[in-house]
Amino acid sequence: MLVSKRKRYLSGSDWVINCLDRMMKNATNAGNMSQIVLVLAAPVDEHELRERLNGFVKSFPVLQGRVSRDLKLAPYWKIPKHAVNDPLLAVHRMDQSPADGSIVSLLERSANAPFRGPEDHLAFQVITDTERSIVSMTFDHRIFDARGAELFLDLFQQSLQSSALPIDGVIPFASSSALTQWSKKFLAGRNVNRRIIALAKASEPEGLPVPTGTDRGFRYRLLSFSPQETVGIYDRAYQEAGYLMESPFLLSVILQSLQELFRSRKGTASSYLIPVTMDLRPGKDQLQEIFFNYVSYLFYQVPVRSIAGRAGLIALLKEQMYELVKSGFPRDLAEASLLTRIAPLPVLGKLLNLPMKGKMATCAFSHLGKSAYRSSEFMGAKIDNLYHMPRVPAPPGLGFFSNYFNGRLNLVISFIDGLLEDKELSMIEQGIRARFLTGSD
Amino acid sequence: MTVQEIEEKLVQGIASIANREVSAIAPEKPFHELGIDSLGFVEILVFIEKTFQLKLIASDLTKQDFETIHSVASYISRKL
Repeated sequence: MLVSKRKRYLSGSDWVINCLDRMMKNATNAGNMSQIVLVLAAPVDEHELRERLNGFVKSFPVLQGRVSRDLKLAPYWKIPKHAVNDPLLAVHRMDQSPADGSIVSLLERSANAPFRGPEDHLAFQVITDTERSIVSMTFDHRIFDARGAELFLDLFQQSLQSSALPIDGVIPFASSSALTQWSKKFLAGRNVNRRIIALAKASEPEGLPVPTGTDRGFRYRLLSFSPQETVGIYDRAYQEAGYLMESPFLLSVILQSLQELFRSRKGTASSYLIPVTMDLRPGKDQLQEIFFNYVSYLFYQVPVRSIAGRAGLIALLKEQMYELVKSGFPRDLAEASLLTRIAPLPVLGKLLNLPMKGKMATCAFSHLGKSAYRSSEFMGAKIDNLYHMPRVPAPPGLGFFSNYFNGRLNLVISFIDGLLEDKELSMIEQGIRARFLTGSD
Repeated sequence: MTVQEIEEKLVQGIASIANREVSAIAPEKPFHELGIDSLGFVEILVFIEKTFQLKLIASDLTKQDFETIHSVASYISRKL
């Protein structure tokens, strides 16, 4: 185990994220980034925010690192001695309360803006009028996963509330090149291979054709439910799926709504394939675990014929979730992906595409549940809402991302520009709303 | 196995799954207050199957059955 302030070995998950970043830079207008959005009930002092952010971000040299390889070829994050660059903070002032459409359009612009250079991994934006403001942080997925981004902003808020920064940002990262225990990794790899090959053999999954052109950005639709609506949705999830089974309930509704789209497009595939992220934070060191990636994946494979009846669909999703967790698939995937680090990123990109012949999934799905951002305020302003706007690797170029904050359920639909027409997007939204709010099948 | 022995095993397993200290897992707390999501909950159900040979995923468990770790321990004790 290496403990170092200048070097942090990448995990298998980190390397896969690096590969996706490269693939997205090749296939779209930017890398594998996401954006976390805070909707505040009051304007923020942008000058104070800029000053505070500059100080806070620059106290973490890890935020201005880059990937390198050591002599044994293990990839690591090379951390500079000092962070020197102020993060980008763009401010959009509006005289009147803007329409939601224009806010989404501004947020889309920042979610799709490439970083200024290879050592730049964060950018901030403030949209403000006289009564409220929206603060967003666009982040490189190589440095944070979604939970880590929430924890990072939470730490920033904590730093505002105490006179001194509660932590030292020059972190002695404990990491391993993980070039031992090969038999364990190969066994995990064998289990993962068997599952992936079985998935690939079953049938080619349904998916929307990714539009041509390599300069496309992503578009978003936010479905935000009131606290009263959210209580109703959670009650429905309990009635239909059982205690703490919101995730399969939400996914079942999304799949039923997507099926309407595929019917209208005369889709012919016989199954849907949906990768779902799972948080594998070890919980050993909260500060270190803010940075880098701790996610693994489950893959649901759903026959098209099983989608129409929600009770059967939920039972199928629960059974698959149970069997995958029981077989240790998510942890095996994380372990086996350590083996991929030897591969250069372009080669790994081709390897990831191989089993599914380039059609990797129908859509991505993630339910973050309760936010890791604990405070009810940001820079002294009450937070009305918090949600995420990720870019999705293409293919599939389509993802559904839900979270719960301040009594509200949010669902963000993210898709590469041109994948969906506006009327199709509205059809999906209406399908989801109707099923969430009225329980229609 | 007594309810208390089952409860102790559950607390250890849940602490490991929820990345918490054993002392932070109060047997009278509901699961949803432990910050456990659907996947974490499934991990707990898998732990219960592996430890007590009881498969609960497809059963008609209610919120009341999972009201607290203690109530789950009582449920398991009745089923063993």
